[in-house]
Amino acid sequence: MQRILWLAWRDLVLEFRGRTGILSAVFFLAVMLFILAMAFGPSPQALRQAAPGVLWVALAFAGSLLAGRAFGLEVEDGTLDELLLTPGSREWIYFGKLLFQFTLLLGVGLALLGLTAGLFYLPMQSWPWYILTLLLGSLGYAAISTFYAGMLARLRGREVLLPLLLFPLVIPVVLAAVRLTQGLAEGLPIVELADWLRLLLVFDVVYVTLCAVIFPYMLEG
Amino acid sequence: MQLARSSPTNRLDYLTLGILGLGIIGVVWGFFAAMSSPPDQSQGYVARIFHLHVPMAWMAYAASFVALGYSVAYLVRRKAHHDRLAAATVEVGLIFMALTLLTGMLWARPTWGVYWDWEPRLTTTAILFAIYVGYVVVRGAIEDPELRAKAAAGVAILGAINVPISYMSVKWWRSLHQTQSIDLTTGKINVDAAILIPMLINLAAFTLVFIGLIRLRALIAAREAAREEA
Repeated sequence: MQRILWLAWRDLVLEFRGRTGILSAVFFLAVMLFILAMAFGPSPQALRQAAPGVLWVALAFAGSLLAGRAFGLEVEDGTLDELLLTPGSREWIYFGKLLFQFTLLLGVGLALLGLTAGLFYLPMQSWPWYILTLLLGSLGYAAISTFYAGMLARLRGREVLLPLLLFPLVIPVVLAAVRLTQGLAEGLPIVELADWLRLLLVFDVVYVTLCAVIFPYMLEG
Repeated sequence: MQLARSSPTNRLDYLTLGILGLGIIGVVWGFFAAMSSPPDQSQGYVARIFHLHVPMAWMAYAASFVALGYSVAYLVRRKAHHDRLAAATVEVGLIFMALTLLTGMLWARPTWGVYWDWEPRLTTTAILFAIYVGYVVVRGAIEDPELRAKAAAGVAILGAINVPISYMSVKWWRSLHQTQSIDLTTGKINVDAAILIPMLINLAAFTLVFIGLIRLRALIAAREAAREEA
């Protein structure tokens, strides 16, 4: 457990000291939101309707940008082998990286939520539920992105392959999250949205466990 | 260029040819059986496509599970043979999935009025299709055979999660798509016996073609691998 936290903490510190990754992701998001806001037109009504979709599409793109960061530095510095050589099981590498990706994605997601609330007039009355959706959505997304990033870490064309593999698999997560956000924005009671919440939860559990189980097989050798 | 030497492991055997031959005969027979089946009460003759569409979809789903099985087998045992079979299964499964989508669209146009609708069954099937296209692309992109096999196995295992969701989607979301003809979760058969027979003929024929094609594709892959090594 301690290892997981240390690994995630180290990666976060490196990420914030390096700045390039996280800054470029945030900047990319801001530009993307501007373009989308212009595309959907000036009417607040249309913008509000588009907001949940925009939020999650932007987060999905940002996630694919950040996914490469999970193992990018390890490969560049050749520290991946050292990680693999540490005694004990290998699941903790996955969980550490997952925690790192999840924290990163959550941070970006929170910033994004604020931006969409401002730019797209997303109603924020039920903000605790938004945060919960964001938590679950980022977790599901990070589970898959971390797994694939680790799998493709040593590969040269990984920047192209990663989104290609990532997006089809995260569609269920993103879809459930979008529906949930949409319902919340329309002010529906949470009882009516319980189905989507449950789906999101099921996907999170399945993805995280399955990825953690297969991950050690993907890295060795 | 020297052709790959055929060895006992990659020789085209009579079993594969026999299965394929029987399957092709079966497909022709199944097609005639489907086209001569009685018209549906509400949909008329259009419903005949059901005899092709449903077994094709089953084969596509079956392919996912078979690929899952071989992928797990590869990760545990590390036999290149399993990896080749998994890849062959995915490729053949993709054909069936494409045919499922195609026949489904042809069926949807006269009955629903549109070729495509973003309802859960269709969406999940399209996602599944995209996942397995990704599988093929990944295989093409990685040079190192061992890394390729591992990455492909990962994709196949994660991809198979979406099969049960796609299968159950018609129930969970009560969508436009009609519910299962034969409910595998309860064992209830929702169609009439007269309609069932042509479908079962097609199912048997497709299964034979499916197995035959996978064997054939795996043989070709084995020869390719043998040549790469030589």
